[in-house]
Amino acid sequence: MLRSCSQNGQRVVGLSAGYGSGVNGLSCHVRFTHGPPPWRPAYSLDQWVAREARPISLRQLMVFGRTLTESRLISSANYVRTELPARLAHRIRDMQTLPYVVVTNPHISQVYELYLKAFESLRRVPEIKTLEDNAEFCEKIGEKLQEHLTVIPKLAMGVLECRDLMKPEDMDKFMNTVLRSRISRRVIAEQHIALTETFHHPRHPPDAQPRDSEFVGEVLVKCNAKEVVTRCGHEVAALASAAYGSSTLLPEIKLSGHLHATFPYILSHLEYIIGELLRNSIQAIVERQRAKPIQTERPPPIEVTICEAPQHVIIRVSDQGGGIPRDILPHIWSFSKGPRSRELLENLNQVPKIAATFQELRVEDQQLPEATEATPHASPYLGIGAKTHAATEKLASLSSHQGPGTVRESSLATLTSRPPNLRLGMGLPLSRVYAEYWAGSLELHSLEGYGVDAFLQISKLGNRNEQLTMRASMDAV
Amino acid sequence: MVSTQDPPVQGLGDDTDQEELDETKKNNLVKHIICCNSPEDVDPAIKFAQEQGGKFPKKRPIITGFTIKFPKDNISTMSDSKHVASAEIDQDPRHWRSIQVRLTARAPWTSAVIAEATTTTTLNAAPMNLLWRPLRLRCRNAKGHYLCQLRPLASYSYSTSARRPSPPTPRWSHPPSSTVISDEDVASLASKPLHTLSLADLVKHGRPPLSTDALLSSANFTLSLLPIRLAHRIQALRNLPYIVVSNPNISKIYNNYLHSLSTLLPYNSKTISNLEDEIRFTDVLADLVETHSHTIPTLARGFLECRKYISPAEVTRFLDEHLRARIGTRLIAEQHIALHLSSQPHQHQSHTKLQTTDHPSSYIGVIDTALQPATIINSCGNFVSEICELKYGVRPTWIIDGEPATTFAYVPVHLEYIITELLKNTFRATVESGRSHEPVIITIAADPETPRGMHNAFDQERKLGDSPLNHETRYNPSIKPFDDPAPGVTIRIRDRGGGINPEVLPNIWSYSFTTFSEDDELPPQGNGNIDALNAISGSGAGGSSIAGLGYGLPLGRAYAEYFGGGIAVQSLYGWGCDVYLRLKGLGRPKG
Repeated sequence: MLRSCSQNGQRVVGLSAGYGSGVNGLSCHVRFTHGPPPWRPAYSLDQWVAREARPISLRQLMVFGRTLTESRLISSANYVRTELPARLAHRIRDMQTLPYVVVTNPHISQVYELYLKAFESLRRVPEIKTLEDNAEFCEKIGEKLQEHLTVIPKLAMGVLECRDLMKPEDMDKFMNTVLRSRISRRVIAEQHIALTETFHHPRHPPDAQPRDSEFVGEVLVKCNAKEVVTRCGHEVAALASAAYGSSTLLPEIKLSGHLHATFPYILSHLEYIIGELLRNSIQAIVERQRAKPIQTERPPPIEVTICEAPQHVIIRVSDQGGGIPRDILPHIWSFSKGPRSRELLENLNQVPKIAATFQELRVEDQQLPEATEATPHASPYLGIGAKTHAATEKLASLSSHQGPGTVRESSLATLTSRPPNLRLGMGLPLSRVYAEYWAGSLELHSLEGYGVDAFLQISKLGNRNEQLTMRASMDAV
Repeated sequence: MVSTQDPPVQGLGDDTDQEELDETKKNNLVKHIICCNSPEDVDPAIKFAQEQGGKFPKKRPIITGFTIKFPKDNISTMSDSKHVASAEIDQDPRHWRSIQVRLTARAPWTSAVIAEATTTTTLNAAPMNLLWRPLRLRCRNAKGHYLCQLRPLASYSYSTSARRPSPPTPRWSHPPSSTVISDEDVASLASKPLHTLSLADLVKHGRPPLSTDALLSSANFTLSLLPIRLAHRIQALRNLPYIVVSNPNISKIYNNYLHSLSTLLPYNSKTISNLEDEIRFTDVLADLVETHSHTIPTLARGFLECRKYISPAEVTRFLDEHLRARIGTRLIAEQHIALHLSSQPHQHQSHTKLQTTDHPSSYIGVIDTALQPATIINSCGNFVSEICELKYGVRPTWIIDGEPATTFAYVPVHLEYIITELLKNTFRATVESGRSHEPVIITIAADPETPRGMHNAFDQERKLGDSPLNHETRYNPSIKPFDDPAPGVTIRIRDRGGGINPEVLPNIWSYSFTTFSEDDELPPQGNGNIDALNAISGSGAGGSSIAGLGYGLPLGRAYAEYFGGGIAVQSLYGWGCDVYLRLKGLGRPKG
């Protein structure tokens, strides 16, 4: 854990100079006393709550970032400068309307304080006029992004601990809104940081026209579903053989359908969803396989079908991993309920930070004994230390020659890590939040005793606005 | 032909003799039901009616009135008499006779049935009728001749529509008549709570063949449920806007319900204590099942015609509730009929010994405790692909994988209906997208026998069901399975038929006529121009049924949901479609 932090710390220095307060910032939150958060006047918050979020689309992000000039960069900075506190203010107000008893929960109240602190600091940023202002601003938001890595596990634990204090539907609605808003803030913040980087990159020509295969900021212009599935498939397989032992027979991943389909997307979002789906499938298949007395046959393949429609790309992942047990099925999309909540809570305690990226999954030597102990259902790690995650290496090589036109990771992708087969109960609900964020959807159908089909639908044209609220919570906004 | 041996007529049963039959045919007479204000009025009214040209009057004490035959369209003159409270055309004169024949004349059993079967097949949908054969054959041993009564409604449309004369069309403004039963009767029955039917109720009388006592107790149990259920339906219909119920189609259904309730009311105050009564009661049940076999298309047509006056949401809500209630009502009635036919006393009397004792049947009434979904899929697949071959010249193929050998307890007719509806859509898409060489993959998944932590999930479900907010559960108590952890099956039908257009997708579960706009042309009524698609889309091709009104899918879902299952559709537009049919098994009855 420590190793990865310091290793990646260096990398962040590269993009926002003067980094270093992140770790300190974290430690001060851990010290928080667990009383209710102190009362503060609500006036400044009210003003910001009154502002509506201005949603953006992938296409806007691309068009904006394609021809980058100083004035564009500055106006992007000012958009982020006003948008972040406004969006934060809405979430803070959401939390303020939760029952008192829920907000006094130590985890939730820490998140609340974290949000308030960020809001207070961001709303005070004066208008950005120069590139120097912008550099300073980028540093600040980079710092905030780091600090907030603890938000997901804290929220998840808080929600699990408070599951009897609120109706589960309300809890899930709250969680969905908070997480979706979080994604949105990170997207605009990271996009701005990435654009700033691109702008300052020595090789950045003033009128660069990126090729189709390239990124514009965080957006991959021609995201190819087949390539993402293949790559995630390999990495998930590597993770699985590290976790279950290299002798374990892993299922083949069979691709069919419209394999040339491309669409603009934020690669890390897609990788997270596909990674989670494949991970679930492989986990189920391997564990089902292990229950059988003879394990000589290769398990049935995972069939991935890519379907391109005029408006959408649909990715179907079909496995034969035995399906989802009936007692768990009603709860798979929920953050708070279900018969496994105690087990999940224990597991979450081991994961202080979640960036919700696919790259954070890795087998870490120092975490292994702990993890094995705490997850009775998880299989023993047989390949301790034998494998290092491919992403780490790739990242190391990337950070050295990063620039426009190369595949790049999300700036925070590797600051966190967690053992891949630690069940947190968050993969599916978070994947759905990601999918719905860009106006897509994620559905699951279980054939109990046989397998699961997952359907990820992606809006292909990139012209849909980010979905800041769930349909269910529209009325609450 | 059998009237002379008949016991005294209790209900509105038919007691036609040969002379009357001939005359009716020759002069195109139509039977009318005349209700009088008081018993004293009956005789003068009959006299008056005969003066008006009526023939063959028969007194019907139960309705304080009589039936009489008039040449067509003569009835308006009757209402002029001060003795007459109401006069209406008997909606359904024919089936009375056939049932009477079947149940009272025991010797000519077979010939009567054959006679009926002949009329059944002389309709333009004859090929379909024949195609249904394989489905019927499968259960013949257990259920015998009554099978035609036991099929779900989709198949009824093939067999009953042409057998009936085209219904007389009352004028649009004709107010629905309700004089057969008093409002108090309906109101008092409808105020009684609906019994939450459980499957245990259906099998509590034991495995067939039932003894006489068990049969009688089944009859009395059935009798205790049905009038209340009918009254609730009548009440729901009465609460629709006047202009809607005045529509001839809906009015017809309304009157069917009144009629059925009136046939049951004579039994309401007494218990059925001997076999004679039981036979007559079963007779009434058979009539009930048949009278209502055509409800859905008629209602659909009626609501379509009324779409200016009632919102689609309201129609959908009414139909959803009606459909689900109807499934339960039919199940109760059909269960008793099936038990009746396989019971000891009646088997003994029956000349065709249907059930051989050396093969213990897996059936309890209409429930098959060892139903193999793969068998049903194959027989329905054969049926549907046969139609495809007939209409398109191509025969789609299918492959069953997963666990084809699995069996579970379910009502086979329900499964047949659902599978047929789903396969129609699947095969049609496959053929129309030109991919009939790609087999449809049907995966059968069986629940593991002892899933862990079962009870949590079921407790959860029950909690949901108890919530007063749950509209559907409150109004449509579905059946409880025998034992909760009963294994069920999930069936996935995966095709390469190009999927469903996203614009159409939101409407696939609505009764598609509710999405017709006001200016849309109504689909042709009758046999006019039925193309392949309509024939295949299950509306039936017969006389009063409606082609192309697309209620197959929502109805299929209603059947699946009845026992706590469901249907989900996942479309990959431009590629294909996955349909998931989840069915909760009914479990094994205890004891």
